[in-house]
Amino acid sequence: MTQDQQVVDVVLVDDHHMFRTGVRASLDARVRVVGEADSVESAVRVVHELRPPVVLLDVHLPGGDGGGGAEVLRLCTDVGSDVRFLALSVSDAAEDVVAVIRAGARGYVTKAIDGPALSDAVLRVAGGDAVFSPRLAGFVLDAFGTAAGDVATGDDELDRLSAREREVMRLIARGYSYREVASELFISIKTVETHVSAVLRKLQLSSRHELTRWAAARRLL
Amino acid sequence: MPGVRTRLPLRRPTRGRWFGGVAAGVAAHLAVPVPLVRAAFVILTPLGGAGPVLYLFWWVCVPSGDPADAAHESRPSALSRLARRQPDAPVRRWPVTDVAVGVLLVAVAAVLVAARSGVDVGVGWVLPVLVLLAGLALAWSQLDATARGRLRDRAGGRTPVGLLRVLGGIVLAGVGLLLLVGQAAGRGVDAATLVQSVVAALAMLAGVALVLAPWWLRLVNELGDERAARARESERADIAAHLHDSVLQTLALIRAHADQPTEVARMARAQERELREWLYDDRPAPGTSLAAALRALVAEVEDSRTGRDGGAVAVDAVVVGDRVPDADTGALLQATREALVNAVVHGRAPVSLYLEVGPDQVEVFVRDHGDGFDVDAVGPDRFGVRESIIGRVRRRGGTATVTSSPERGTEVHLVVPCRAAPGSPSTPAAETPPAETPTTTTTQEDA
Repeated sequence: MTQDQQVVDVVLVDDHHMFRTGVRASLDARVRVVGEADSVESAVRVVHELRPPVVLLDVHLPGGDGGGGAEVLRLCTDVGSDVRFLALSVSDAAEDVVAVIRAGARGYVTKAIDGPALSDAVLRVAGGDAVFSPRLAGFVLDAFGTAAGDVATGDDELDRLSAREREVMRLIARGYSYREVASELFISIKTVETHVSAVLRKLQLSSRHELTRWAAARRLL
Repeated sequence: MPGVRTRLPLRRPTRGRWFGGVAAGVAAHLAVPVPLVRAAFVILTPLGGAGPVLYLFWWVCVPSGDPADAAHESRPSALSRLARRQPDAPVRRWPVTDVAVGVLLVAVAAVLVAARSGVDVGVGWVLPVLVLLAGLALAWSQLDATARGRLRDRAGGRTPVGLLRVLGGIVLAGVGLLLLVGQAAGRGVDAATLVQSVVAALAMLAGVALVLAPWWLRLVNELGDERAARARESERADIAAHLHDSVLQTLALIRAHADQPTEVARMARAQERELREWLYDDRPAPGTSLAAALRALVAEVEDSRTGRDGGAVAVDAVVVGDRVPDADTGALLQATREALVNAVVHGRAPVSLYLEVGPDQVEVFVRDHGDGFDVDAVGPDRFGVRESIIGRVRRRGGTATVTSSPERGTEVHLVVPCRAAPGSPSTPAAETPPAETPTTTTTQEDA
């Protein structure tokens, strides 16, 4: 049950009671649900009260100004970086995914995910890493471009991916797990996680022209 | 998908605007950076004031609104996603308009002070023009707000504040005009004549308005009602047809097959995929999107094939980029289908499919987590891999690589150069190893 780490507390935010029940039942013993919320207001309140290490956040939520999960993220910026958000949605459309990621979520999984995989994702987010699905990696490649000349040379360059980051993204999009990516590229899993976190940061902070245009075409400008 | 992007319509976005959002709107319309457009306006200013004039012209003529929003509204509703979109995030921005108004007021104050202290600024006409402009701005700002309100689906412009704005604007503009007329006619016009002409003009206007008002009101009401009704009707018909064709049929089928878990799972998966597409995606017109063709192919394989244990296998498909399909990508898709069928039937879930459209080539990876097989041991009589996958791609000048190992499963890598890209000579990918040379081979032939 508990190996080297303790049980991770999560707050579950979703407006469907049946789905919350299902998620609670499917999470394994490494994760404990300490609170639930079903709207933007209650989510903000519960997160501020409990300050859990991880919040499982539905993208489409009633209440607030109609901003859904992204609005919760914006209203919770004051709780600090020790509360991390993992977005959870039935939709895997680009605009929904990128909206919550750019609002500050540390990862994105679809509701089709099974219990152990979801628990893994929660632990990964709790550990400060990013969770990338193949779909999200595809969006990143789409947004940052895949042309050969479009490669970042310095670490501080926000608007382009480095050659390695692009390789990692491509492998994840091809269905490789972090472990498989590591062995394919002859690097450690920790290095893969570092690359993925760097890509997440770029996705959140970049003002790359193509990225904003791409987002505009999907109404995110 | 970005490959087949159309031009955004001309709108003045509320986000990222400095004054009226004209530059931002033009930039979005022409797909150029906003600073470039702003610079163009500045550069055009010395040329007879063309910059500000153009800006004002567009400010008045172009409706306010999100360009992407407008683009989505102009799509046929049968091709648009049904789920509500996430509203835009608010952004903090410099209060440029407020600052501009402040600067203007300070300038006016300075002129007034100068006039008071005896300096003859020779600006007898300035005050009337300013009053006139203020009136116009007030009335137009109401127009702007009304348009925005309608676009945003808010309450509309019929608030007391809106009415006050229009009335105030009209009064201000009228006073400005009168002062101007008085100025132009020299100081010879006496007050009585002026008042008389004003009353006559007002009476004339009121008469015309009275005559036209009912007709105009009915026209406006009918137009709005008809437009709303038509949109509602077509949307309702689309949704009803879709729900009947797919969801209802599938539910009936599922009930009939309740004792066959494989069949039920497969139908539920197909229905989920279709509903998801309806709810969350905008669909391209048929025949214009390689990504859509691939999704259809995945759907077909998921629906028609089962895995080794007889269960349905879900394919995790990721597409990067898009283009219009041609003969080359057609061959690639056929090869992809064969590879996908092999992965679903002989491999093990999860099956991943990745398609990337590059500037001069299209790449496909199909991966399963099965036990792998010895690629060399595949006999020449076996048409599956050799002819339908590798041969197909090679005839189009592409390459095909099959990698297989027991612990990693099988991955098929297909590359086809695209010829359509103008200016870039299509070269077959050189970095991929020659076809049929597996990097890892093991025994374990697939069935």
